[in-house]
Amino acid sequence: MSKAILTDVTKCIGCLKCVEACKDVNHLEADVPRVWDKNDGLSAENWTSIIQKHGKHYVRKLCRHCLEPACVSVCPVGALRKTEIGAVIYDSAKCMGCRYCMMVCPFGIPRYDWDQTVPHVEKCILCYDRLKEGKQPACTEACPENATIFGDRDALLKEAHKRIRENPAKYVNRVWGENEVGGTSVLYISDINLDFLSYQTRPVDMPLPKETLPAMEAVPYAFFGMGGVMLGLSWIIKRRMKLSGEKSNKEDSTHE
Amino acid sequence: MNRVHNTKIVLWLITGLAAAIALNRFVFGLGATTNLNDEVPWGFWIGFKLSWVALSAGGFVIGAIFYMMKREKFHSLVRIAILTAFLGYSAFIVSLIFDLGLPWNIWHMIIYWNPNSPLFEVGWCVMLYTTVLVLEFLPVPLENTSRYATVRAFLQKFRFPIVLLGIMLSTLHQSSLGTLFLIMPRRLFPLFYSHIIPIEFFISAIAGGLLMLAFETLALHWMYRRTLETDLVHVLCSVSVWILGLYFLVKIGDVALEGKLGLLLDGSWMSYLYIVEMLLTTVIPFVMFVMPKWCANRRVQWIGTSIGIVGVVLNRIDIGGFAMRDATLWYTPSWMEVVLSVGILSTAALVFLFIIETFHVWDIQPRDPEALSHTPPFFDRVSGTWLGSPKTSALTRHTLAFVISFAVGMALISGKRLHAEGIENVTVRPASGIDTLCINGNRDSQFVEFPHQAHIGWMRSGRISSVTIDSLHYVLGAGADSCIVCHHLDVPGEKLSNCWECHTSMYSEVDFFRHDWHASASGANLKCDDCHTPGETRTGRTARKCTACHPSYTFADTAGYGPNAYYIPSYVDAMHKLCVSCHTIESRVIKDKPNLALCSTCHRTGTPPGLRAGMKWDVSLPRFDNVVLPTPVRGIR
Repeated sequence: MSKAILTDVTKCIGCLKCVEACKDVNHLEADVPRVWDKNDGLSAENWTSIIQKHGKHYVRKLCRHCLEPACVSVCPVGALRKTEIGAVIYDSAKCMGCRYCMMVCPFGIPRYDWDQTVPHVEKCILCYDRLKEGKQPACTEACPENATIFGDRDALLKEAHKRIRENPAKYVNRVWGENEVGGTSVLYISDINLDFLSYQTRPVDMPLPKETLPAMEAVPYAFFGMGGVMLGLSWIIKRRMKLSGEKSNKEDSTHE
Repeated sequence: MNRVHNTKIVLWLITGLAAAIALNRFVFGLGATTNLNDEVPWGFWIGFKLSWVALSAGGFVIGAIFYMMKREKFHSLVRIAILTAFLGYSAFIVSLIFDLGLPWNIWHMIIYWNPNSPLFEVGWCVMLYTTVLVLEFLPVPLENTSRYATVRAFLQKFRFPIVLLGIMLSTLHQSSLGTLFLIMPRRLFPLFYSHIIPIEFFISAIAGGLLMLAFETLALHWMYRRTLETDLVHVLCSVSVWILGLYFLVKIGDVALEGKLGLLLDGSWMSYLYIVEMLLTTVIPFVMFVMPKWCANRRVQWIGTSIGIVGVVLNRIDIGGFAMRDATLWYTPSWMEVVLSVGILSTAALVFLFIIETFHVWDIQPRDPEALSHTPPFFDRVSGTWLGSPKTSALTRHTLAFVISFAVGMALISGKRLHAEGIENVTVRPASGIDTLCINGNRDSQFVEFPHQAHIGWMRSGRISSVTIDSLHYVLGAGADSCIVCHHLDVPGEKLSNCWECHTSMYSEVDFFRHDWHASASGANLKCDDCHTPGETRTGRTARKCTACHPSYTFADTAGYGPNAYYIPSYVDAMHKLCVSCHTIESRVIKDKPNLALCSTCHRTGTPPGLRAGMKWDVSLPRFDNVVLPTPVRGIR
């Protein structure tokens, strides 16, 4: 039972209620523009933001909670975790601050407390604590226009396709988050192209962890293969030396 | 001139500078020390550091050549290669302590496992390989003491498996450092991204390791003024030629097979970076070393090895940071990043020099020329004082170098915690005492008092008619019944001004006084002398007061101010922080008020009913693309 958020860009009025609710629930402080902020409104203190595009299109940006998250696959200490309920959550007690998750995120979501001496990674956790209590995330609850709604991923996908079907002139015929990088738990339907939210631009894309899979699978082969090659080489050379009558067992005593 | 001492002084100077910056890093954090940001979380540090690992590859390559392939002539390089590798990896680990956000958690990798992560694999390999290197090198410091003879004998007995394990681990992590970047196919610039980065990293590490050893040998001979084992450097260079050639073929072949040759020649910044990198890493050293005559020339060896090393370093820095999407737009390394990295290297170099002078690492143990017993006492050139025995005087000078550059470093770092920059928030104080609200609209701490009960009384008595949802549109249109009656200056002749005509900026406070409008023919059409006294410097302070022309300006305490004093909040602040803030509280108590806290009350799509002809509805929206809306301040009171 994977949960998800569906945002209908055509319905959003850009009131920022979701952002405010997010800040309240997650105890985020007031934010000020910093040199290290990206230009998308997200920061260590803003886990969601609203971007205004082409006049009156308001696009909410937040962690996409990928079905096969790159950040989770690369974290060397497993500080990031994809929960059964769908949220990708962060354990600050495990984190060692390598920032690999920030590098690999296809949507450029995780932020860092650059100004702190004890910095952590900051990103939306889909209000995991609220989900466990059976509530919905603060942002979807706060939305006055029901532009962003919460529910089962399958049901929301159906709803998204239904809305597009009923109003094909209004929407771009695509549900963002359905297939990109293997699918995400945050879905969008929109009347404008939303590719700017992502580094990926192809609608159907391989989950990023699969990119490293061949190399990671080759690890034992490379390890023992190199060991085998070296042993073989040394055996052949030693034998050849022995055959040509050289005393080859001297090096242990003379060269240490 | 004593090359050894001068080199050491320089190294101590850099180390001292870096020590100050290391302090800055831990006291004030990463943001205060580096230019890393959310767009470029990995930068110069990671890339430079990766190159140290690559240049340390000599340790396992020489191990393989000497122990596995039994090439006896590399014997004199074995210990120095292992020492280089050990110090390279140690420097890598030390620099991680500065680079990681939470370095005290670095050991978490031992207990929290995530075998899917390439970084996890690299981490374990580096830990194990550093241990292997310690075991490989340990017999050297132990050989002078008979006390540890058993330990030494034990280590030598297992030398072959230890070296073999070292080779296996190195193969793994030299390539896995490339695997780190496989997961960023769209983030790394296409020219630099390849599915065989691990293989490219492995090959370039072997070449880099060999070149580094050749360079080291040259440098040590230069420093200690010893005749050069030209033969060995020659051999190293000529071996590396084949690896450089292979690397070139793999790189270019990969680019060609992936169909990216067009990108190579498109004249973009990245293509130039790639071409320069290829020239430095492969083409120039290859051409220099491929001809036997040149390869034996010592000057060519110096230049060729240096260029090759710079190339490998550049390659790692590119992939670790510069070739990332938009990185050049967002990131240039700060001087502190560079100095700290170089400082860690100089510390490693000092340790290296100490070890080769103390233990039998080289075939001949070099002596510090000034530390020899027959050296005459050294007198300071300036003061003419004796600085003590050569050893003491060296210690004095090194300490002095360190302390001075540490002090310089402390002076250079700003030593300031990064504080909030940008737009200040308007402080709106909640009613304190009875019901008076203090509004700091001008942000000059001169609060405007807002007696709320009195306003309610005025509204009841008809002085202000009650505001209904429909008439809210007057807020935008500045109708007679709007807030503007109380809250705004009475702009002469323009009672129907739109908010944005004064609050011209969406996000930052502006000067209400529009100088250009006053001076222009289509505006007030005033001459300079109408406001500024002739002969005096024309500034806002010396100009006539606004009230001289506009006696109806009744804003509190403005009589004494010139035009510059009329700062007004941004549009967003005016609407959200002043109006909405109060109404958020009010809406909980009084039900018949318009719920301004509900954004959709104002922000509606379509034309609102009752919008009069000629009025603009779109006033509240900025008219440029891709705007990030400012986030509300948490906990509006």
